[in-house]
Amino acid sequence: MIIEMKNIRKQFGDLEVLQDISFGVDSGEVVSIIGPSGSGKSTLLRCATFLETIDGGEILYMGQHAAHTDASGKAVYVHHKELQKFRSYCGLVFQQFNLFPHYSVLKNLIDAPVEVQHRSKEEAEETAMELLRKMGIADKADAYPYQLSGGQQQRVAIARALAMKPEILFFDEPTSALDPELTGEVLKVIRQLAEEKMTMVVVTHEMPFAKAVSNRVIFMAGGVIVEQGTPEAVFDNPKEERTKQFLRVFER
Amino acid sequence: MTFSTMLSTMAAGMLRTCGIFALTLLGSLPLGMVIALLRKSRFTVVRGIIRVYISIMRGTPLMLQLLVWYFGPFYLFGWSIRGWRFPAMIIGFVLNYAAYFAEIYRGGIESMPVGQYEAAEVLGYTKTQTFMRIILPQVIKRIMPSVTNEVITLVKDTSLAFTLAYQEVFSLAKQISASQTSFMPFVIAGVFYFIANYVVAFAMERIEKALDYYR
Ligand SMILES: Nc1ncnc2c1ncn2[C@@H]1O[C@H](COP(=O)(O)OP(=O)(O)OP(=O)(O)O)[C@@H](O)[C@H]1O
Ligand SMILES: [Mg+2]
Repeated sequence: MIIEMKNIRKQFGDLEVLQDISFGVDSGEVVSIIGPSGSGKSTLLRCATFLETIDGGEILYMGQHAAHTDASGKAVYVHHKELQKFRSYCGLVFQQFNLFPHYSVLKNLIDAPVEVQHRSKEEAEETAMELLRKMGIADKADAYPYQLSGGQQQRVAIARALAMKPEILFFDEPTSALDPELTGEVLKVIRQLAEEKMTMVVVTHEMPFAKAVSNRVIFMAGGVIVEQGTPEAVFDNPKEERTKQFLRVFER
Repeated sequence: MTFSTMLSTMAAGMLRTCGIFALTLLGSLPLGMVIALLRKSRFTVVRGIIRVYISIMRGTPLMLQLLVWYFGPFYLFGWSIRGWRFPAMIIGFVLNYAAYFAEIYRGGIESMPVGQYEAAEVLGYTKTQTFMRIILPQVIKRIMPSVTNEVITLVKDTSLAFTLAYQEVFSLAKQISASQTSFMPFVIAGVFYFIANYVVAFAMERIEKALDYYR
């Protein structure tokens, strides 16, 4: 297992956003998370990538504990220096790209590898150019983010995450901020990564895409996992009433 | 007094004006950043002190602050203030301008989208790296117009040094005008200030242009 999340609980004030969520992702697996707005999908990804701290439960990467629950039932994280190691296992692609506007495309891709991982500039550049070629935007290496279309920016963001050589990549609605005609190019590179057996968790509202690329689909609602299984099982033969109801909105 | 003596005396005064200007910026630009960061300190006491400091600096006349810095040590502690004129003046200017710059920095920092911090955090940047590499460069670009305003105000504010009878260009203009019963010194001073502001505006515009490579 690359990541295991056990009995995750997360509250914002009185609102229980995640209630006892457990799931794991195997190496090479592609998992899609679907569910209505406010069901806690983003929060789950933010907990997995350490942007939010969990209130209870366990987070393991590569079988090692990043957070566990102590006797009093409170989540305890490893020391923040050690947490850096766990951060390097995971990458996150945001809905809003969040590229660094003052850096060129290439600099966006090499800055963290060089400054955070202390890799050599030459090696980082080589890796970055290779990734940009894969994303079909090698000619944009010297451009600045504002000069790119949304679809190109999101591909740069994916490349930036991959440049860190993570074990697993999380996507939070990677195409939701894009014009419909630009979603295809982003979904294409994610599909390509899936074929290369990159381990990925994708929160998405693109049902045909989720059905086509994922090994497993998780349906979340109200802070719990309502149903999960193969795409065929969840999309074609949903067992839970809540899932059927949700999927009906996407038919037509 | 011939026109050329008048001009050269006042040019020497203008040089001192430039000295106040340069030293004030040199001190207040970095100090303002320290204050802006302390303003967000996790210690309530520190935040409180900084808030009071900023509101005093902005809520009382700079002229009054200069007088307090100069005469304060004598009235409060009975210390001799010989040789204290110049340091007191620079301290007064620096602490006053640092407060204004701190507020500008704070506004700039708070205007940064949270996504920039989150992207950096996920990539493993430390807090210091995030601030120095990601946040600060963008903040500088955002605040340039406000900083320019403040710097141009400072060119004119240097004339407040006359309250401590420091011989910068404005003090000299007043003195020479009175002793020579001539209006000319004021004209010269006006031209000097105008040129100085023109140079400053030009320099600031160049800096803003240099930061125009991204949006
Ligand atoms: N920082 C926060 N503070 C308070 N409440 C929050 C915070 N972040 C999220 N929430 C709340 O938690 C709930 C779950 O939010 P979350 O963003 O995880 O949902 P989501 O499934 O990603 O929804 P969407 O499909 O709209 O992105 C929502 O009710 C939201 O308002
Ligand atoms: Mg969301």
